[in-house]
Amino acid sequence: MGISGVREFCRPQSARDVVDLLAKHGDRAVLLAGGTFLHGLFARGLGSGVEVLVDLQKAGLSYVKAANGGLALGAMTTFRELAESEAVQKTAEFAAIRDALQYPPAQIRNQATVGGCVASASSLFDLPVALLALDGSVKSLGPRGPRETTLAKFFVDYFEHSLEKGEFLTEVLLPKLPPRSASAFLKLETNSNDLALVNVAVRITLDQAGLCRDARVVIGGGVGKAPVRAVSCEAVLKGQRPSRTLFESAAQEVSSDIQPVSDHRASGQYRRAVAKVYLRRALLRAAERLGVEIA
Amino acid sequence: MKQVIALEVNGERHEIAVQPSATLLQVLREELDLLGTKQACDAGGCGCCTVLLDGRAVYSCMVFAMSAQDKKITTIEGLPKDGKLDPLQEAFIQAGAVQCGYCTSGMIMAAKEFLTSARAPSDPEIRQAISGNLCRCTGYHKTVDAIRMAASGR
Repeated sequence: MGISGVREFCRPQSARDVVDLLAKHGDRAVLLAGGTFLHGLFARGLGSGVEVLVDLQKAGLSYVKAANGGLALGAMTTFRELAESEAVQKTAEFAAIRDALQYPPAQIRNQATVGGCVASASSLFDLPVALLALDGSVKSLGPRGPRETTLAKFFVDYFEHSLEKGEFLTEVLLPKLPPRSASAFLKLETNSNDLALVNVAVRITLDQAGLCRDARVVIGGGVGKAPVRAVSCEAVLKGQRPSRTLFESAAQEVSSDIQPVSDHRASGQYRRAVAKVYLRRALLRAAERLGVEIA
Repeated sequence: MKQVIALEVNGERHEIAVQPSATLLQVLREELDLLGTKQACDAGGCGCCTVLLDGRAVYSCMVFAMSAQDKKITTIEGLPKDGKLDPLQEAFIQAGAVQCGYCTSGMIMAAKEFLTSARAPSDPEIRQAISGNLCRCTGYHKTVDAIRMAASGR
């Protein structure tokens, strides 16, 4: 049961050392970031094949810094550190991250990390949905060196990402967004320590004339094997002037983009209904952040 | 195989032999006999095991003991100073914020971190601060009263 087979606990001092440890131990090793997801799995009796735990705490991956006009988030940056960074606290474009990090309790914010959350590839987590709406990508390091993968290509299936064996996630990159961009995130949960029944993140970019030049709409929670980009909603928004009517029609379109599951927590029909409401509200919130008068 | 590590708990350094898979919660309770930190869900859902790591509230059931090396660990036993209870502990007693008591040390540790930065917090802010801690007895009202009292008593 659980991880009683663990015989070694490593604390590598650099990202390169992590790659060496993965090469040495292969499938017997599991990477440990904040541990909140991993302990959850272990508590459910998973992890019986794990012999080596590789703690990334000392590998120099805790930072939020400017990169190419956007942001580079070190994999070991905690939710709290990210939430307290100036870009996340103060800008309209990264506000979806601010929103998403307000949901978990202090204990999780202090412990959970950006990289752990993304690499878990859970379709029910919040931060990945916000990062997808911001066109984020993932930087990884492996035996053949570093490479970058868009988040859209990173999330493959339930708890499955596209990195190869021996590679690991070192950084999340967020590109510079055009001026007049704002984002927002909303989540339905049953208590403050709950996984999303539905979560949504939106990002809109307006042109000089105040028309919607670009939009991203991402839905997570139990709506697919990974967060889903709602391209039909985006198509409704593009080229149009933000208004309540526009946001309502965009929200209605989400039905064609998602296939919500029915489970013991909510029916698919309910998730679909909530997705529409939350999407409309998130669009309004993003528009407010741009100081737009909404008719 | 057990490994000997050093942990700094409540200002005191301990050298302990631990399994590499042991959680901080297990080591605190089973090796150091610090039973004030409670085990309930053991999966990061209830907050009973909350301790401070370098001043930050964390679920000790979700921290490996090995990861807590070179950090300052504070448990409920570390709060009284010079034989006097912490103002938060006093406030919990005054407000009658304890029923069965199982969640109480976790509540106090979460509140402890919160009050290091919060000044005159509102009730919604207090509720947010203890949103990672479950209580099945009190309905939270007296817990919120206690934390408000502790905040205003400083």
